Amino acid sequence: MDVTSCEKHGLLVIQVSGELDSTTAGDAEQEITRRIAEGTSLVLDLTKCRYISSAGLRVLLMIGKQLKLHGGSWALAGLSPEIIDIMEMTGFSTYFTICSTVGEAADSLSQT
Amino acid sequence: MIHRLDSHPTHAYENFKLRAGKPIPFGATIVPGGVNFSVYSRYADSCELVLFQKHEKKPFAAIPFCQEFCIGNVFAMVVFDLDYENIEYGYRMSGPWDPESGHRFDSSKILLDPYAKSIGGRDVWGIEPDWTDVFPHRSRIFFDDFDWENDSQLQIPFEDLIIYEMHVRNFTIHPSSEAKHPGSFSAIREKIPYLKNLGINCVELLPIHEFDEFENSRISPVTGERLMNLWGYSNIGFFAPKAGFAATGTYGMQVDELKTTIKALHKAGIEVILDVVFNHTAEGNEQGPYISYRGIDNKSYYMLTPEGYYYNFSGCGNTLNCNNPIVRNMILDCLRYWVSDYHVDGFRFDLASILGRDQNGAPMNSPPLLETLAFDPILGKCKLIAEAWDAGGLYQVGSFPSWDRWAEWNGKYRDDMRRYLKGDAGMIPNVINRLQGSPDLYQWQNRKTSASVNFITCHDGFTLMDLVSYNDKHNEANGENNGDGSNDNSSWNCGIEGTSDNPEIIRLRTKQIKNALTMLLVSNGAPMLLSGDEMGNSQMGNNNAYCQDNEISWLDWTCLEEHTEIFRFVKCMIAFRKKHAVLRTSVYVKQACGIAEISWHGVKSWVVDASHESRIIAFMCRCFSSSHEPDIYVVCNMHWEMHGVELPPASEHARWYVSANTDMPSPFDIYEDGNELILENQHEFLVGPRSVAVLISKRDQAKEH
Repeated sequence: MDVTSCEKHGLLVIQVSGELDSTTAGDAEQEITRRIAEGTSLVLDLTKCRYISSAGLRVLLMIGKQLKLHGGSWALAGLSPEIIDIMEMTGFSTYFTICSTVGEAADSLSQT
Repeated sequence: MIHRLDSHPTHAYENFKLRAGKPIPFGATIVPGGVNFSVYSRYADSCELVLFQKHEKKPFAAIPFCQEFCIGNVFAMVVFDLDYENIEYGYRMSGPWDPESGHRFDSSKILLDPYAKSIGGRDVWGIEPDWTDVFPHRSRIFFDDFDWENDSQLQIPFEDLIIYEMHVRNFTIHPSSEAKHPGSFSAIREKIPYLKNLGINCVELLPIHEFDEFENSRISPVTGERLMNLWGYSNIGFFAPKAGFAATGTYGMQVDELKTTIKALHKAGIEVILDVVFNHTAEGNEQGPYISYRGIDNKSYYMLTPEGYYYNFSGCGNTLNCNNPIVRNMILDCLRYWVSDYHVDGFRFDLASILGRDQNGAPMNSPPLLETLAFDPILGKCKLIAEAWDAGGLYQVGSFPSWDRWAEWNGKYRDDMRRYLKGDAGMIPNVINRLQGSPDLYQWQNRKTSASVNFITCHDGFTLMDLVSYNDKHNEANGENNGDGSNDNSSWNCGIEGTSDNPEIIRLRTKQIKNALTMLLVSNGAPMLLSGDEMGNSQMGNNNAYCQDNEISWLDWTCLEEHTEIFRFVKCMIAFRKKHAVLRTSVYVKQACGIAEISWHGVKSWVVDASHESRIIAFMCRCFSSSHEPDIYVVCNMHWEMHGVELPPASEHARWYVSANTDMPSPFDIYEDGNELILENQHEFLVGPRSVAVLISKRDQAKEH
């Protein structure tokens, strides 16, 4: 698992690659949180994320809740159809704005 | 953040860092830095925690509980730095092998944690297991957090329930369901609009605790295919949902999927009742496998004969020792867990009479387990429904200990109404009792109508379509020479055994289905429908389809098109019940002085003919508490001839209208609210052969003013 960040479309884009599970979720949470300033709008690019386990989804949910609490917003981009399906069945999808590409995610954030 | 003094390891074993654990709660609990493992065994001398990487055949560690990790009869330790999402665990127990004294310890067996919240091994339904696996059912560790938002138990009054008994897999596994993930919890969520449209407000799920669908080794003599344990009345673990019922079972996310499904059902106003099987386990008798309880503490968990054999009050090889204090606590912990962590609204207890037997099998007067459940604070608002009999001959319908909390599957309702429906003589006195919530069974104990779950069909026995299509069971496909399943069905095939093209027979069967459902939905007590009966689903005469994971059991949704008439009728009849509170009084109407009144009639109004050959009964409900509530008059004629019945006068300024008349073809069989048909003759009604009619009074606006 690796976390990198850059700026695209005038927005912070954080990219997580590899697998997001119980062994990596804690580090990912720290790395993502470290990059988020209060009130930030950002895109989480998961195009290179092969697998998100139950622990991984929980970490994403926690970060999202924290972000919202501080007036921020985010959108997820690049999730595989399989992960989106899992998120739908386990109720996680309702908590996220899910877009297919980083560009789409940026558009959806600019509209809110 | 202040770190706890006890969050650091004190011991080491090989590469593992350990410390003494907390004995409570039992099971595996995620704690700061590690996992707390706690397991009870009164008679084990020693215990090892055995750890596997997920799906690996061989364990990567076996960590003994050292002496200082034992407190009382509990082994408890914390193992630090475990990747809990990717491991599976079990226990090995050493202790005496002395069957006559009840002990069957075998230290070569790896045993499932009785408190496992998630169980691996049957992650996807029907995938042939590796039979050489030394540890086929594996305890897993799962996050028990979930974002319930504002969800809580719905607390629908018992008498307002309209229960829909459903098997998770059967409900949507047929391709015609067009569900995205057929046969799963998620697919139930997809079908919520259908359930809402039908009007039910409670689903009762056949067992959803982990079980082994491969437990049955029989082959179908009809198809040559392996038979399965489809129903799942054979628990492996009581705390874990059936992974194979979750579309996400392959990812180990069945817990979240089930919780999401329950949350969505609640949002739609639908309660969830679980069918729980605490009377036995999947370990069977002396010849059965070691899964968990037998190897952990055989003598505590099972009822044993003085010689150390298994009592078989369940008919399934063993009997859980429910009134042993340890087992009693496990059951309580389990139910509390399902209520607090899954927001479940109630439980239906399979063969519940076993829960009232003492450790030697004798029925008790005030069984401690049943009393504990009745008064438990966490279970305080959930429905407790007993299948008030067992396979050992105890039959307690009407006498199950209740403490004003327990309801019963009213088996007498089913038996009497079936016999009446098929035209048996001598049924009127019993039918009068059944229609008003069985006061003969419950009123003398000051119990309410909410003691009675009324049903004519359930998973066990014929579907409603089969009840009117078969005189005899046809269970050949079950591989027991048609010897399994009940012979006492009180069914009638309407002239021909099995399916028929004869329009007269089809018409009569449809009418009989409507008759049954009408009587069910106007009876006091909580009605329960069998999933599929609303669309004329058939099991081809199989009255014990527990093993038929195929077209016999699967709900074929094309039946909805074939039997639109039945669906429309049930839907309208459910709406009728919901509209009229007088059909749902919680107290027996006779006790509800000044609120409501029920009067009984026959061919002549105010005169009941309860003689042996009489097959006509009518009743009128009048509500005094609200002047807006209409009178309701219901006449049931299970005689094969048409009869004219004298109508009691409707209330002042009101006239009788027809709400339902099963003798009429659709759409004249039932009228939606507000569109009822006025009766030309207000003094006499012609009730057709084998028919039920429902009339309501409506005020005549012109006369009133």
